[in-house]
Amino acid sequence: MKKKIIYTILLLILLPVFSVYLFSQEITVISPYIQLQYFKNTDDQRILQTTLTYSKNRMELPLPGMEISFFTVGDQKELVATALTDNKGVARFELKSDTRLKAGKDGMWAFSSEFKGNDTIEAGASEITVKDVRLEMVLTQIDSIKTITVNAFIKENGTEKPVSGEVVKVYVPRMFSLLQVSELTLDDAGTASVEFPSDLPGDKDGNVTIIAKFEENQIFGNVEKRETLTWGLPTDYSVPVTHRALWTKTAPKWMIYTLSVLLAGVWGHYLFALISLIRIRIDAKKQEAKDEYRI
Amino acid sequence: MEADKKLIRDLTPEIEKTSIKWYITFFIFFAFFAIGIYGLILQIDKGHIVTGMRDNVVWGFYIVNFIFFMGLSYSGALISGVLHLFHTGWRKPVIRMAELITIISLIIGPFFIFFCIGRLDRLYFLFIHPRIQSPITWDVIAICTDLFGCFIYLYLSFIEDFAILRDYTELNVPPWKKKLYKTLSLGFTGTEKQRKILSNARMIMAAMIIAIAIIVYSVLAWIFGVTLQPGWHSTIFGPYFVIAAVFSGTGLLIILMWIFRKIYHLEEYITKRHFVNVGVLLTIIAAFYGYFTFSDYLTKWYGSIKMDSILIDKLFTDYYSLFIFANYIGILLPCIIIAFPKFRTIPSITVAAVIAVTALWVNRYIIVIPTLETPFLPIQDTRPDWINYSPTWIEWSLTLAGVSVFAMLFMLVSKIAPIISISEMQEKDKIEILK
Repeated sequence: MKKKIIYTILLLILLPVFSVYLFSQEITVISPYIQLQYFKNTDDQRILQTTLTYSKNRMELPLPGMEISFFTVGDQKELVATALTDNKGVARFELKSDTRLKAGKDGMWAFSSEFKGNDTIEAGASEITVKDVRLEMVLTQIDSIKTITVNAFIKENGTEKPVSGEVVKVYVPRMFSLLQVSELTLDDAGTASVEFPSDLPGDKDGNVTIIAKFEENQIFGNVEKRETLTWGLPTDYSVPVTHRALWTKTAPKWMIYTLSVLLAGVWGHYLFALISLIRIRIDAKKQEAKDEYRI
Repeated sequence: MEADKKLIRDLTPEIEKTSIKWYITFFIFFAFFAIGIYGLILQIDKGHIVTGMRDNVVWGFYIVNFIFFMGLSYSGALISGVLHLFHTGWRKPVIRMAELITIISLIIGPFFIFFCIGRLDRLYFLFIHPRIQSPITWDVIAICTDLFGCFIYLYLSFIEDFAILRDYTELNVPPWKKKLYKTLSLGFTGTEKQRKILSNARMIMAAMIIAIAIIVYSVLAWIFGVTLQPGWHSTIFGPYFVIAAVFSGTGLLIILMWIFRKIYHLEEYITKRHFVNVGVLLTIIAAFYGYFTFSDYLTKWYGSIKMDSILIDKLFTDYYSLFIFANYIGILLPCIIIAFPKFRTIPSITVAAVIAVTALWVNRYIIVIPTLETPFLPIQDTRPDWINYSPTWIEWSLTLAGVSVFAMLFMLVSKIAPIISISEMQEKDKIEILK
């Protein structure tokens, strides 16, 4: 009876621990953030990118594996592609040269992306309008002066017109992020120049990559030009021959010796204690045999 | 192996039958343990976001509990080792408790490290990719070595008692228990040769346990000491941690003596003399501990290194009450209570011990948390709850679960083995008769 009571009490304690998932039916609907962006890279590839995230505990978390539909918006809204979001919640679609794009009266292309939603995530949509721009980066060196010149043009009524007053940023990629070299404002001729710093480290041959870009521009989106050339200071990054130290793969010898001696000493004594136990057992067996013999 | 029947009956109160009180107490502790398990399931399911630990304060209650339990363990080893090695006359009723504190704390402590780890599935990396330069690797080696050594030491001290229980024909226990005693006693019959072997092994292991306890707890202290964090980078941390551990362990020993004396009516065996002796030991250690604490903070304050100054300011503002309790009340009050003969009663010595143990836990808290809240490079625009630590109910529940498991394991041991060594007590009787 007493045992039954005890088992019942134990069962009652354990039940709530496991029942939380069995009886849980609460469903919270997520309100996602959806953002559509336009990218044009140095090879004139045009990419539409949608990022789908949501906020939890004031942190922005991705929504992977969700289907995003991309549309061109003109007189009619036309579906051009669908794509799934990756682990970062990003879905991409490349606008090929054969994709028919109709510009509006103001010369802007309009795109939209949509997420239909499901039982746990609400639907969402985002729109963007961009104008096609031709960004040029000209790198010239006269004596030791290295100059970066950027030009930007848009097409209006079949002729190219310079872009003025817009900001182009110049970067050089470093180990973890892009180092901003300059922020240029285009003049009336759609041109701006800056001298490249002479003390920027490159690879062992002095190679550096220079990037000029419109960044999150309200009219042009994200457009970049990049080029690699030997404008940096040649820098040797090779790691010196490894030696034994705290920060290398192999520990200093004194450390290994000290630890080995300590452990050998301690475990040696343990072995002695274990052997003592065996000796007690052997002696006890002998004693038992003697007692049996006497009987 | 023969023993006094009364002695066996008195020192094995729970071996033959289990009282209803035992079940109720066990149930209460088990309930706390179950709540802790529920908290742990939530933590594993939802991640460390359910705890108070964030980017800056990456160590919270769990590491405080880890240091605390490991400290109890090493102090148990030190106390039992020293008392055994020096044949202290009054050691006999308390030495088993100190040994049990060692083992049980050593089993519980490392679990708090597991709770700290975000990727438990990678835990085995510690063993397959160890870097001998890392203090974490030292700690893993040290804890494994210590655990093995403590088990041997504890087992050596149990052999004679198992033999007594095996040979005691009037003991009404189930056959599996009899078989267990027979197996674990290794056929020990108490011949002169066997006694000599056992005595030598115990003496050597007692000496080893003292050395290991000092080394292992120093290694734990060096996990903090070798980092360049404000408040931690201190040469004194090794001995400081060892002294603090003995301080808390001595306090816990007094508390356990009081509990077992009360529950199992061991007034005849655990007398006021034992409380006073362990209490005096607590006072002496408190004096050393106070000296180390003062020395550590004085040098940091006088040095006026920017980050140390910020930390000490924080301790005297945000953590003022905790700092005062841990480093003034927790040290001075036990000393005052025990130093004056007038206050040396069993309840007051126990109260002093409770204050000492609680203060030591708080001391661990103010060593770990304020330092992590004082980073060298402040993160811009960080939310206050990312910088300032405050434990959640899950951390509280797992802390209580740790304490509950400690109590439950003690209770389970009392179901199998004597809580005071019968063989040691018999030895005492023989000596007294000879005298």
